[in-house]
Amino acid sequence: MVDERTEIARGLRRRDPDLLDRLIEQYQHRLLRYLLSLTRNRATAEDLFQETWIRVLERGHQYDGKHEFSTWLFSVSRHLVIDFFRRKQPASLDALLDDEDKPMAPPASEEPSAFDRVAHRELSERVATGLDHVPYEYREALVLRFQEGMSLDEIAVVTGAPLGTVKSRVYRGLSALEPWMKGIQA
Amino acid sequence: MTDKRPDNDDHARARQMLALGDTGQLSAADQTWLERHLGACEGCRAFAQDATDMVRALRSIPVAADRSLVAATQMRVRQRARELRQREERMWLVAVSCVAVTLTAVVTNLACWRGFGWLVERTHVSGAAWPLAFVGIFIVPALATSVLLLAKGTHLADHSR
Repeated sequence: MVDERTEIARGLRRRDPDLLDRLIEQYQHRLLRYLLSLTRNRATAEDLFQETWIRVLERGHQYDGKHEFSTWLFSVSRHLVIDFFRRKQPASLDALLDDEDKPMAPPASEEPSAFDRVAHRELSERVATGLDHVPYEYREALVLRFQEGMSLDEIAVVTGAPLGTVKSRVYRGLSALEPWMKGIQA
Repeated sequence: MTDKRPDNDDHARARQMLALGDTGQLSAADQTWLERHLGACEGCRAFAQDATDMVRALRSIPVAADRSLVAATQMRVRQRARELRQREERMWLVAVSCVAVTLTAVVTNLACWRGFGWLVERTHVSGAAWPLAFVGIFIVPALATSVLLLAKGTHLADHSR
């Protein structure tokens, strides 16, 4: 595993195009899923997907191989997402970054009857819908933890948040999703 | 009887343990405590089941990158890599040129200095004057050029005429 990381770090320093092709193939779904979870918009996520790999090419020498490549990759893409929202929607960025301590909004009752809409769908689709309503910080933690299978320490590296905060986000994220589950099950 | 009923802190603690999904990494005491709490608390048992379902659902949300997106990204990355390589090559050329210019300047200065020394010997100019003349000859063209450029592109130029 360490050898693989060293190999990647060496290849990135050389800007090896074949290595980059391979990495793009390897991480395509995970990276896109992460970007979608942050942006909630496919077109934006795809733009940022490309930007992320360009940034990986340009800043590849900064990857030192100490962490998993995916941890560094997600960290790079996260910064791009923040830059994107800072440029496009300063107000929304505040909402993205500061909503952690606000009370979690329950599913809005006047929403186009989410429960009815998804009553007969698969559980994954229901949770995906619920994810849209989970505050950004929690959503990101949930995606990294349960979709990407990262350890809490790795999430702390990607997000730059203390470990305790990461734990809290995962817990509160699941708690934020729970009303959706219960509503659907009721 | 000192049987303690679970309070809000107990529920929060149990749910946090469950949510973090690392119950296998709990200490034996915590594991025992959690099992006992779940045995007594229907709400937390339901949360445990919900959490399991949610995690399973999260893992199965299908998101796939299009083949065209991957191909376009690979093409852009290769194109950018080419640009960076060309830029690096240009920078390398500039660096080599700088080194060559510096070396040439050193050699030229040395040659001129010696030439001036030889001239001084032949013309018997005073020892203090010839270094000033040497510096002047080297600086005057640069100064003149600077003044000309300044006058052409700044407030020194009278564009009204």
